[in-house]
Amino acid sequence: MKIVLEQLLNGLTIGSFYALIALGYSMVYGVMKLINFAHGDLFALGSYLGYTLLVFGSTYATVTFGIWGGMIAAMLVAAIGIGIAGTLIERIAYRPIYSVGRLPAVVSALGASIVIQNGIMVVWGPRPQAYTSQVVPSVMLNIGGIKITLMQIVVLVISFILMGLLFYIVQKTTFGAAIRACALDRSTAALMGINIETIIFFIFALGPALGGMAGVMVGMYYRKISFTMGWNYGLKAFTATILGGIGNIPGAMIGGLLLGILEMLGSVYISTAYKDVFVFLILILVLIFRPTGLLGEKVAEKV
Amino acid sequence: MKRIKFLLVVSVLVLALGIASLGVMAADKLPVVIGLQGPITGPYAVEGEMTKQCVEIAAQMINEKGGILDGRMIEIRVADDACQPKAGALAAMKLITQKDVVAAIQTYGSFVVLPASDIYEKFEKVNIAYGATITDLTERGLKYFFRTCGRTDTQAAFFADKVVPFFDAKKIAIMNNNTSFSVGLAEETREALKSKIDAGEVEIVYFDAINPEETDFTVPLTKLRETNPDVFYYTGHFPEAGLIIRQAREIGIEATFIGGDAVVNEDFINIAGIEYAKGVYQTQEALIEYFTNPEAMAFKEAYKAKYGTLPSSPWSVYAADALCVLAEAIDKTGSTDSDDIADYLRNKMDKFPSITGPIGFDEIGDRVGSSINLYVVNEDGSSSICDTK
Repeated sequence: MKIVLEQLLNGLTIGSFYALIALGYSMVYGVMKLINFAHGDLFALGSYLGYTLLVFGSTYATVTFGIWGGMIAAMLVAAIGIGIAGTLIERIAYRPIYSVGRLPAVVSALGASIVIQNGIMVVWGPRPQAYTSQVVPSVMLNIGGIKITLMQIVVLVISFILMGLLFYIVQKTTFGAAIRACALDRSTAALMGINIETIIFFIFALGPALGGMAGVMVGMYYRKISFTMGWNYGLKAFTATILGGIGNIPGAMIGGLLLGILEMLGSVYISTAYKDVFVFLILILVLIFRPTGLLGEKVAEKV
Repeated sequence: MKRIKFLLVVSVLVLALGIASLGVMAADKLPVVIGLQGPITGPYAVEGEMTKQCVEIAAQMINEKGGILDGRMIEIRVADDACQPKAGALAAMKLITQKDVVAAIQTYGSFVVLPASDIYEKFEKVNIAYGATITDLTERGLKYFFRTCGRTDTQAAFFADKVVPFFDAKKIAIMNNNTSFSVGLAEETREALKSKIDAGEVEIVYFDAINPEETDFTVPLTKLRETNPDVFYYTGHFPEAGLIIRQAREIGIEATFIGGDAVVNEDFINIAGIEYAKGVYQTQEALIEYFTNPEAMAFKEAYKAKYGTLPSSPWSVYAADALCVLAEAIDKTGSTDSDDIADYLRNKMDKFPSITGPIGFDEIGDRVGSSINLYVVNEDGSSSICDTK
């Protein structure tokens, strides 16, 4: 029982990373019908930005603002930096080719992904970097025999706050209604007086910003970051997006959390070596029996 | 007017070419090109970078002494394999198709060396592996394949015969990372422990694999914790090993952590944090800092002068060794023919004084006599040898 609880908690932690990244995929897909394959690498870039702030000038940020202040500063820097990077990518890699259809944009996304990944390697070097113990709180808690780290709780709390905030914006505000309208039908939304440009700018800033913050949290939780990390997380988060229903924002959150938990339980009860097989098996089953994902609605394809 | 301009450009070009070829004539002799296939990019890029530095230092040392074959310089040509089997095969082809590449030093990771060595063999190019230890590699009857590093079965035997008694361990957990090197070392270790297991002296309580691409190992580690081992032998590589030791300690595994020969380096210490890295043991081929022979001292001095530190990986230095033996073989045979070089390496080279001590090769291309020790990480991040008797 103890092990199951511990693993549920671990699964939830990983799941919240997946969920935060999945939100970026889902938001962009919802409005643009484009799979932003550079998203995973933006996540990695966010991790490196946060890392740079924390180790800059012999941990200046941590010394000045304290360990928690440093952490929040790192997340803010990553969020802003990656928000800008996301909109830049939209300008450079996607906007010029929107008119020629969706497939070239996907190829362009893959290209952007390679550029970012190798850019990270050129700037920060090929070796893995580490968030050192001076900049990350390292506290172990023992609650009724269950061992958890303080970071786990922090990650869960921050992720849920961020997800709640996004959920509120999208579901309850006028601006959110505009986003949802764009996702339903872009041309009609434009006729209704919604400024599509602003919406696109917003989703390409907000989605990657969430990913960037997830990047900093992954760095703080695991300590090791590498320039190739974006691919693996990106793929899992993409799976989570499909699982929850692509284009659906609550779907991405639930898909991410579910995937993290399933992955953990799968490796506890089946086999660790077959963990990924298990994850992708779920994906295949969902695609066969419920191609729209758990929360996705059937949308007729416009021709 | 246009025509005159054109003629002018052509004559300038011809002149330039003439001067360029004169330049080559002045240097008198073409360089001897040796290929280096290594993981310049990818997850083990740190190994590749260090290897390139080591090989270049070795080449520089040979060239400063006047080169080989009466004054021909050695030139290194690098091909990147990103530590992937497929890219490795391409990198091998890239080196082979360049006609001036005489022989190749190839690469980090047994699973990359495996397909690449087949290709070198097919095109009859001498290739020397520096960071590939699985036993099978040299057991395939290849004619042109050699290696300057040791074999996993030696290391496994060392673990069984020396390390286990050293810690007086009864319950042993072994974890690998599903790469051929790592699985090889884990299985050879189990094999080497067999007589002790049969005699009831030790017990393998955990034997499983993890996926090195992951960052969360709490599930396998929780399973491992429940078996309550005395020693925990991890046979994988440094990037995930740093995470494993940290996560293992965090969930309360107190067993002695011993890494295989690809675990401890500065990145491992960085990722694990010194508070977890100190007291970690490692079965490891001899590190350069412990060599005191004149060749090693000269190499250390040259490397330090250029890069400020010493190479922290033993494999990079084995690559420099590979260059030294190739240079020696080419120089002594006076030939750049693959058969001559292979024959010299296999049959005539005996205790050639190289950087990591005397080198010779046996019938199947394995290095004769390489030494393995047990190291422990100190508080300041340095390593020292344990006296395992």
